[in-house]
Amino acid sequence: MSELIGNIVILVGAFFLFSAGLGLLRMPDVFTRIQAGTKASTLGNILVLSGLGIHHPDWALKLLIVAYFVLMTNPLSSHALSRAAHAAGAPMVGTVVDALRDEDGIAAKESSP
Amino acid sequence: MPEDQGTTQRTASGLLGGLIVLWIVCFTVWLVINSSVAPPIVATGALVSLVVAVIFIRRGDVWRIQAAPRTAYHLLAYTCVFFCELVKANINMLRYVYAPRIDIRPGIVKVNMPLKSSIGRLALTNSIALTPGSLVMDLRGDALFIHLLDVRTSDPEEASRMIIGPFRRHLEAAFG
Repeated sequence: MSELIGNIVILVGAFFLFSAGLGLLRMPDVFTRIQAGTKASTLGNILVLSGLGIHHPDWALKLLIVAYFVLMTNPLSSHALSRAAHAAGAPMVGTVVDALRDEDGIAAKESSP
Repeated sequence: MPEDQGTTQRTASGLLGGLIVLWIVCFTVWLVINSSVAPPIVATGALVSLVVAVIFIRRGDVWRIQAAPRTAYHLLAYTCVFFCELVKANINMLRYVYAPRIDIRPGIVKVNMPLKSSIGRLALTNSIALTPGSLVMDLRGDALFIHLLDVRTSDPEEASRMIIGPFRRHLEAAFG
């Protein structure tokens, strides 16, 4: 019985990971792609790890540490990537407002007389 | 920073609390990874994690937190809110990904950062990255720049209420 529940949880996690990959392909620009990748892959990873934990209850605590590691580092890397992409001037599709560019523009105007 | 008697005392007590919290965290990770409670392993772990905690506490201000039962309660409540938001974010993202036409209006908005301590800021920015349709781009002074999939308002007050509203109360109480 616990095997079946573990399998179902792993399957749901795999579905979220698949959606993350599909989101990477379908989204229009760098930042929206990073968003799709971050969220769905975090939950997918956690679900796969907890499914493994249901299969092997004696691994549960170690898997919890791995899950925390993913939870801490996944947003961090997406943050670093998106910041670098914006600094390098990656194009944004269909942008409504870009406060960061406006801020940069003000700073550039102030520094150059 | 104005340093009067009260703040220095609080910093010292926060230092000790942070040391104990960090020691316990390191020691727990060590025990779990070893998955054994043989005396030599426990003794080595306690010593090494104490040294690591002391080094980290002396090197920076990051771990100066108050350890109190209220902090633990708010951390627990924050974890529950966080997981609800994470599941919501994923369902939201599935809707975008499987929609026949992706209908988004992305943009970057500026929001005020309500928290002062670095560990609280880390927790808040990481949570924002995992909530529905938002991603932290940059932090300059007290201004957070957040990339939104669907910009509904450019007013900073309303945007901040929408984005950091759910976490703000618990994180403020836990880290300040």
